[in-house]
Amino acid sequence: MLDLIREIGQTLRNNRLRTALTGLAVAWGIFMLIVLLGAARGVVNAFNYGAEDSSNRISVWGSYTSMPYKGYKEGRRIQPRTSDIDAIMHDNPNVSSVVAFARADTAKIVTSRDFITGLSAVFPQVESSDRLTMLYGRFINTPDISGLRRSVVLHRTNAALLFGDEEKAVGGTVSSLGLAWTVVGVYDHDWRTDSYAPYTTYKAITGYSNDTYQLDVTVENMSTEEDGIEAERIMRASLAREHQFSPDDQSALWTWNRFTDYLTNRAGLGYLNLAVWIIGIFTLLSGIVGVSNIMFVSVRERTHEIGIRRAIGAKPRSILAQVLAESVAITALFGYIGVFLGMVVLQVINIFFGQSDALRNPTVDISIAVEVTVALVIAGTLAGLFPALKAIKVKPVEALRDE
Amino acid sequence: MIITLRNINKTYPGAVPLHVLKDINLDIERGELVSIMGASGSGKSTLLNILGILDNYDSGEYILDGKLIKDLGENRAAELRNRLIGFVFQSFNLISYKNALENVALPLFYQGIGRRRRNALAMEQLERMGLADRAHHLPGELSGGQKQRVAIARALVTNPAIILADEPTGALDSHTSKEVMEVFRQLNADGMTVVIVTHDPGVGESTNRIIRIVDGQITPQNA
Repeated sequence: MLDLIREIGQTLRNNRLRTALTGLAVAWGIFMLIVLLGAARGVVNAFNYGAEDSSNRISVWGSYTSMPYKGYKEGRRIQPRTSDIDAIMHDNPNVSSVVAFARADTAKIVTSRDFITGLSAVFPQVESSDRLTMLYGRFINTPDISGLRRSVVLHRTNAALLFGDEEKAVGGTVSSLGLAWTVVGVYDHDWRTDSYAPYTTYKAITGYSNDTYQLDVTVENMSTEEDGIEAERIMRASLAREHQFSPDDQSALWTWNRFTDYLTNRAGLGYLNLAVWIIGIFTLLSGIVGVSNIMFVSVRERTHEIGIRRAIGAKPRSILAQVLAESVAITALFGYIGVFLGMVVLQVINIFFGQSDALRNPTVDISIAVEVTVALVIAGTLAGLFPALKAIKVKPVEALRDE
Repeated sequence: MIITLRNINKTYPGAVPLHVLKDINLDIERGELVSIMGASGSGKSTLLNILGILDNYDSGEYILDGKLIKDLGENRAAELRNRLIGFVFQSFNLISYKNALENVALPLFYQGIGRRRRNALAMEQLERMGLADRAHHLPGELSGGQKQRVAIARALVTNPAIILADEPTGALDSHTSKEVMEVFRQLNADGMTVVIVTHDPGVGESTNRIIRIVDGQITPQNA
């Protein structure tokens, strides 16, 4: 084996330019494959990151009916109510929670320094479901809800705007809806910037209306698109009964079924992944065809040498092994250069763009490296196979005449 | 007898088949120094190829060192070439990117002998040829005579039963030709059987027996 490796090394060194050009084609193919796979992985990761904790949620907002129902005319406003929560949970045992949101887009939050607008009235679960990262203090908690406390949680940029320094905001006071509120926490998020207040406090201040801006329904045990559609159908039926509109009236409520969206997007990402593999493999294939072509040239150029080797005792399998081994060596050596460079580029992308909404951790893991290794050996063998078969068909007596 | 040929026929197929060897009968004793001479196209190279198990024959019988050489598979033919025959060619046929030592050691590589042992045996043969100091030189750095002596060392390294030389002096000047023929004579004196194909009468005369081949047939007095 060591002898064979030495033989290969000597042959490759003897044909440096040819080896380098062939290797370049392979390295480029593998490089592209790795970068594409890494980028696709980054997109999938970003999608999974965004979908995590909310992929089994159905959100509901108010809208207008589009058909008459039981004496009610079309065009009637339907607004979800906090009293709908019990009905939704009762009708579908798979519903694990229903959370109400209230929202005041125009509510000003003011300090002596500046002001911001927009206030979401929420329950404590929102900290995890909206994937908020608390930097200082805490999020809205149960005592805030039960005690109707005037607590508020600010985004870090808003905290810095209102208090000059985000760290100083906790414990500070802001003014909103004509009342003083205490800042209990500062959070961070990629794109959310809402200020959060306790749902109950907000409802008490704004007149104890039963209407709510939004309901988030969390459903367990969903695995197929049919499950998601069925969960939405049951929820609509509950709300239709409670609000007296037709269950078939799709306009009566705005809904966002994140689970079916998640499945659709996941299928789309599956196709993306498949497309990347296909593009990558075809790119690699062009490299392999290049190697095969070069190996054919190599065999042709070395016909005389093969004749000499055959004359002095090389068996056909020795020639076959040498050509195949050369091909695998070129493919593997330069393939790994491509893998290495691809991973370096992915690391650079990861450093600069790896935590964005569209791309998250765009890297390839060890299983990809193993798959690529197997692919390289198979590719190298295939690339060398036909030239090798041609080489062993060379008749020594004819090859010795070939100069 | 190291070589026995009985009624060997060889025809190259084609639009007009070419009957190159016609009922060749030949015996060569162990330890002989023989030349095969003939004009271009007489069939002497085809005969050498058959003797060297590089080519097949159509009919007849060829026995080399007691072994019937007929209808051999590629692997068996390669094995017999490696163990029984040492080739010396007109154009040396050294591998250009291997140095003299590596070229000489190459037949041993195909016997599966380890590198250290191969190199030791190859160096012995280079020393025998007076080329120990050129062992690490590439063929391109050697003179014609030196290249041919490296080729002879390669032919000898497996300790074959016979040396087959195809126009071994064809690419050399007269002085170097004489030196190379002297090497063959010395090998023969040491007991090696040497068969040389040549069209050079001078080379033929320096062998112990000349076998003349005309139109694919050995002339009667040489058979």
